[in-house]
Amino acid sequence: MRSGDFKESYGQLVVLARNPVGWVYAAGAVLALSLLPVFAGGYVINLATMAGIAAIGVLGLNLLCGVAGQLSLGHAGFLALGGYAQAILVTDYGVPGWIALPLSGAIAAAASLVVGIPSLRLRGLYLALTTLAFAYIVRHLILISEDITRGSSGMPVPSLAVAGLRLDQQAHFYLLVLALLVAFTLCTLNLMRSKVGRAWKAIRDHDIAASAMGISLTRYKLLAFMVSAFYAGVAGALMALHIRYVNVDNFSLLLSVEALAMIIVGGLGRTHGAIMGAVFLSLLHEVIRIAFGYGGSALQALLTDRIYEIKEILYGVVILLFLRLEPEGLAGIWRKTKRFWVKWPLSQ
Amino acid sequence: MEYFVNLVASGLVAGSVYAMIAMGFAMIYRATGMLNFAQGELMMLVAYIAFGLASTFGANLPVLLAGVFVAAILLGLLIERVFIRPMMGEPMFSRVMVTIALAVVIRGVTILIWGQEPYAMPRLLGTELIRIGPVSFYPAQVWTLVMVAVLCVVTWVFFNRTRFGVVMRATANSESTALLMGVNVRLVSAVAWAVSACFAAAAGLAFAFMFSVEPDMSSMGLRAFPAAILGGLDSVLGGALGGLVIGVVENLAGGYLGRGLKEIAGFLLIVVVLMVRPYGLFGQRHIERV
Repeated sequence: MRSGDFKESYGQLVVLARNPVGWVYAAGAVLALSLLPVFAGGYVINLATMAGIAAIGVLGLNLLCGVAGQLSLGHAGFLALGGYAQAILVTDYGVPGWIALPLSGAIAAAASLVVGIPSLRLRGLYLALTTLAFAYIVRHLILISEDITRGSSGMPVPSLAVAGLRLDQQAHFYLLVLALLVAFTLCTLNLMRSKVGRAWKAIRDHDIAASAMGISLTRYKLLAFMVSAFYAGVAGALMALHIRYVNVDNFSLLLSVEALAMIIVGGLGRTHGAIMGAVFLSLLHEVIRIAFGYGGSALQALLTDRIYEIKEILYGVVILLFLRLEPEGLAGIWRKTKRFWVKWPLSQ
Repeated sequence: MEYFVNLVASGLVAGSVYAMIAMGFAMIYRATGMLNFAQGELMMLVAYIAFGLASTFGANLPVLLAGVFVAAILLGLLIERVFIRPMMGEPMFSRVMVTIALAVVIRGVTILIWGQEPYAMPRLLGTELIRIGPVSFYPAQVWTLVMVAVLCVVTWVFFNRTRFGVVMRATANSESTALLMGVNVRLVSAVAWAVSACFAAAAGLAFAFMFSVEPDMSSMGLRAFPAAILGGLDSVLGGALGGLVIGVVENLAGGYLGRGLKEIAGFLLIVVVLMVRPYGLFGQRHIERV
C-alpha cells in the first residue's frame, strides 16, 4: 500500500503537472480568461491587460531576483528600453510591429550585458546599486538624445498589426497579452526545471559553492540577466503598445519598486507567485480607487491630486506587511491553504 | 582657469551634501551590514521638519539646530526599533527591501503633508557673499563645507579614540563574536541609526539653506550612492571623500561636456570604478569561505 506521494524517477521530479488534472485546471483557467472579453466590459479588459503585462515583466524579474538571487533595482530601465525600442523601430525604421516586439526584448537583453558584466565582480548591495545606476543612466540618456527619442515630450506608438489584422481593439490586444503570458509562463516553468534553472538556484544559494560544483558563474549570471531583461523588454513594449505612447515618466524608478513589491507579495522565486503578485497589486490600486470613491469628494480630489504619492505609500506598506507577516507571500498562503484542505482533519 | 576653479568650488559644495549622505550610508552599513535606501528620504523629511520649525514657530538658529537634531535622533531610533530590529536575522534581500519600502512611504507621506511646491528656507545664515580668492560663496555654502569638515573629524575621533567607536567597529567586523564578548549589539544598531539620521539631518539642513525645501530632495539620496560606493560602503570617511570627488566630477562633466552629463557622470564613474575595485576605494575586501 502506498503511504505517500513518492517520486521514484528523475522524470517524475521535474514534471510540470503531477497529474492530468493539473493540465485540465490550467487549460480551464486559460480558456476562462480568454473568454473574458465576451462577458466583461472595456474597463475590466483594460485592467486585465495591465495585470497581464505586469505579470510578464514580473516573471522575468522573478527569474533574476528570486531564482538567480541577483537583486535588481533597474528593471524600469529595461522596460523603458523595450518601450522605446518598439516605438522607434516601428515609427522611424518601418519595422512591422510584430517583429519589433521580440526585437525590443532582444535589445533590452543586449543592454542587460552592461549591467550583467559588472555583476560578475559585484555581489549583493554593490550589484543592486549598479542596476539602480543603470536605470538612472537609461532615463537620462533617453532625455538627452532628443533626435532619437524626442526627449521629454515622448512619442506615440503605432498600434500592432499582425498579418493584416489590426490589433488596436482592446479585446484583441488583451488576447495577445494573454497568449504571450501563457507562452512566457511555460517558458519560465521549463527553464526552472531544466539545468539552467537549477544552476540559477545553486548560484542564489551560494555562488562560490556553485562554481566549485562546475557551474560557470559568468555564463549563468549573464544568462539570468539577459533572460530577465528580455521579459522586461517585451513587457515594456507591450506597455507602450497599450498606452499608445512612450514617455520617460511612464518608466519611473517607482516602477522598479512596484515590480519588486509584486515579487515579494507573490513569494520570491515562485512562478505562480509572480503572477499572483502582479495581479494582486494591479487590482490593489483599483480597490483603493474604489474605496476613495466611497469616501466622498474631498478624498477623491486628494486621490486625483496625489495619486503618485498614494501609490507609493501603498506599495511601501504592502511590502512592509508582507515581509513582516508572510515572507513567503501569496504563494506561501496558497500552499498553506492547499495543505489545510488536503490534510484535513489532521491539519492545524 | 577661473571657470575651472569656480566649477571645482561649487562641485565641492554640492559634493559636501553627497558626502554627508554617504557618511550616513556608511555608518549604517558598518554597524549592521545593510544599506539604508531611505537615507535620502530621511534627509528630506528632516529638512521639512526644519522648515516647519523655522517658518511656523520662527525658531532662531540655535533652537532650530537643537530641534532638528533631536527630531532626527528620535526618527532614527523609531525607524530602527519599529522596522529594522524585527528584521534582524532575515535574509539581506528582505532587510534591504524594508528600507526601500520605508523610502517610498516616507516620501509619499511627506509630499502628502507638505505638497509638491518648493519652499524657501528663511535666510538665517545671512546673505552677504564671502569672497575667497576668485570664488565667492554664500554663507550657507561655507557653513556646509565647515560642517563636513567637523563631521569628518568627529567621526574619526569617534571610531578611533572612543570606547564605543571601537565597540562599533568590532560589531561590524563580526556580530556574533562581539555579542560573545559582551557587546550590546542592539544598542550598537540603535546608535548607528540615530547617528546616521543626524548625518541625514546635517545634509538636509545644508540642502535646505543652500537651495530650497522640495520633494526633489529625496533624489539626492539616489545621487549620493556613487559617493558611498566610490569611498567603499563600509568606510565612513571614504564616503565623505567620495562625496566631494563625485560633486567635483559631476560639476566638471556638466561644465565641460554638456549639461545632460552632470546627472549621470557620477553613476558612469562608479560603474568604471567598480569594474576595477569591486569594493570601492577604501572598502574592505571580504574573503569568503564556502
